Amino acid sequence: MHGFNSIGQLNDALTSQRYLMDEGLATVVYLAIRLGKPLLLEGEPGVGKTELAKALASAQGVPLIRLQCYEGIDVHQALYDWDYPRQLLQLRAGGHTPLYSEEFLLRRPLLEALAQPNAVLLIDELDRADDEFEAFLLEFLSDFQVTIPEIGVVRAPQPPIVIITSNRTRDLHEALKRRCLYHWIDHPDLQREVAIARARLPHVGQSLVDQICSFVQDLRWLDLYRSPGVGETLDWVQAFHELGHHQLDARTASSTLGTLLKERDDLERIRAGDLEAAVARSMQRAQEFRQQNYYR
Amino acid sequence: MYGAQQSTPDQAVMMAAVKFGRALRELGLSASVDAEHTFIRGLAEIDVRDRTQMYWTGHSAFVHSPDEQPIFDAVFERFWEGRSLILQEGGSEHGESDARMQGSHHGGEALPQFGGEAKEKTALDGDRTRGDQDIPSAESEDGASNQERGVLAAWSDQEILSARENLEYQDNELAALRYLAAEIKRQAPSRRSRRAHSSPAGHRFDVRATVRSSLETDGEAFRLGFSAPTLRPRRLLFLCDVSGSMERYSRVLLASLKAAIGAARRAEAFVFATRLTRLTKSLDGRDLEQALDKARAAIPDWSGGTRIGYAFSEFNSTYGRRGFARGAIVIVVSDGWDRGDPKILEEEVRRIQLQARRLVWINPRPMSVDQQPLAIGMRAAMPFIDDFVPGHDPRAIAGLAQLIGGLASDRPARKIVSPVPPAAG
Repeated sequence: MHGFNSIGQLNDALTSQRYLMDEGLATVVYLAIRLGKPLLLEGEPGVGKTELAKALASAQGVPLIRLQCYEGIDVHQALYDWDYPRQLLQLRAGGHTPLYSEEFLLRRPLLEALAQPNAVLLIDELDRADDEFEAFLLEFLSDFQVTIPEIGVVRAPQPPIVIITSNRTRDLHEALKRRCLYHWIDHPDLQREVAIARARLPHVGQSLVDQICSFVQDLRWLDLYRSPGVGETLDWVQAFHELGHHQLDARTASSTLGTLLKERDDLERIRAGDLEAAVARSMQRAQEFRQQNYYR
Repeated sequence: MYGAQQSTPDQAVMMAAVKFGRALRELGLSASVDAEHTFIRGLAEIDVRDRTQMYWTGHSAFVHSPDEQPIFDAVFERFWEGRSLILQEGGSEHGESDARMQGSHHGGEALPQFGGEAKEKTALDGDRTRGDQDIPSAESEDGASNQERGVLAAWSDQEILSARENLEYQDNELAALRYLAAEIKRQAPSRRSRRAHSSPAGHRFDVRATVRSSLETDGEAFRLGFSAPTLRPRRLLFLCDVSGSMERYSRVLLASLKAAIGAARRAEAFVFATRLTRLTKSLDGRDLEQALDKARAAIPDWSGGTRIGYAFSEFNSTYGRRGFARGAIVIVVSDGWDRGDPKILEEEVRRIQLQARRLVWINPRPMSVDQQPLAIGMRAAMPFIDDFVPGHDPRAIAGLAQLIGGLASDRPARKIVSPVPPAAG
């Protein structure tokens, strides 16, 4: 059994990895671990889906095994393959090890996850894979065992924690969803985003963090083509910091906006608007936020 | 504050959980027995007195997509307060709106979405589907009474699509629809996948296959293996206009969409008038009539005005952002009569083109765009269209099949068109 006995304990462990969850996510992750069910995470890019798996692995000091999905991924890239060149060499050398034995088995991520006790398995962007692969995965996820014809059944002594992420470019199969716990991750609110930024960038001044987070929070209401994720917020804070600024200001904001927004149209829209006023609003809001949270 | 309770939940909790699942199921969520089981097991792990934990435990077990959240919220509210879980049928709302994307967490009081959502209907009366037909066979139609109306028959301007009877299909139409489905299946555009398959006629030398086969011959490579890239179907994305000016085509258009969805491995259908509706799921059933009923119920603005730009903008900011148009053959069927701002349309069409492999625009009006004073939108969109097909009557179903088959699936040469300059100020 993985070592978390309460939601609070899990939360603390991940906080120490500088990954801050809200209570909803904490509950669901805890359940996924306790019930031994895969966790299907969806949400906009940049909300920390992949990060969660990394934090979960390092919190427990276990390896993170990552399977990045793409169109056309198949069993040989996901599960196992035979090391034919080595088999050939052995044949030529007249060795006596059976050709189809564990020795010549190349473990791909899924098999690796079965072999490693307590591993965290991240199946990233499953929606990119073909539906055939999804069907194959279904079998794997329900029993945590696979059959390799030449060897037999490989079973996990201890099922891994499985995190599946999807960007919803297509609907995943109902049967797969049924086997998983589902959670949609939203962008964090101001308080959480500030907390994340402070945890990740402890060397940056607090007022800068507050101001930039307020600004980004406002941006997310604008229905941009691509809303900035937490990762971009952190980049932007970092950019200001590297340029030696301790306060948000419109000129620097305009010149570094490319760190935050990656779509030309979004950039132009923000730059064409009243950036001065937006910055002033964010400063004001950061100030209020600071006062409200001063005693916390 | 968080208590881990290892005991199994008592009988009362269990009964409540099962009732909870049943209430969700009645409202169309696919609350399977699996999900109920997960929920009950989850209850044993959390503090059942804590509302937040309860909420998220139920949420993770029963909700499988953000669209389902409002239903869940409404039922959970009642569940938590111990009220009766039976909800009356409330106002209908159309199906594909994505509550989370608009950033609202409402839905506590609002009653769940009835109406056109395909999932609900199949969940509730899935048995009604006739299992053995892709498209209803000719015999299922009462052809005699509708002899005059046919797919290529003359149409009158007065024909108004509002009554149910207009959705009945002629024998010849059904035959044409079957032909369309078969043609799409046969010649839908494809793309090369990363995956290779072994093929004696392939041009890539397959080292692995060669070595593998030489294991059988004591390490001597007698047989050389070759591989060729696999072809996969390319996504077909339909964006069809069902506004007032397109009314006379809509009936057949919808049936064609249904045929295409059924035939192509990866096809998506959206319709729009003033706003966008995703029809892929509604049209996915096997029975034509039933699918079309669902589809029509899902379209809130059937035969309304046209704001193509806004509809496309809706597409781009939701589905487009998730990559629905990326690498796809996008087929727009519209006369380009737009009452919205042509600048917006121009911008949004450009964005679709940037993602699409090819952007095809089928316009039923035969005249050149310059002669149509009303087609302002069409003119705005023109520079961003890869294949413009004027004068194609969507009611000529067989023609559509040829059109799709004839589409080149290579990337067209495009001029670099600079984006619309932002409005001053």
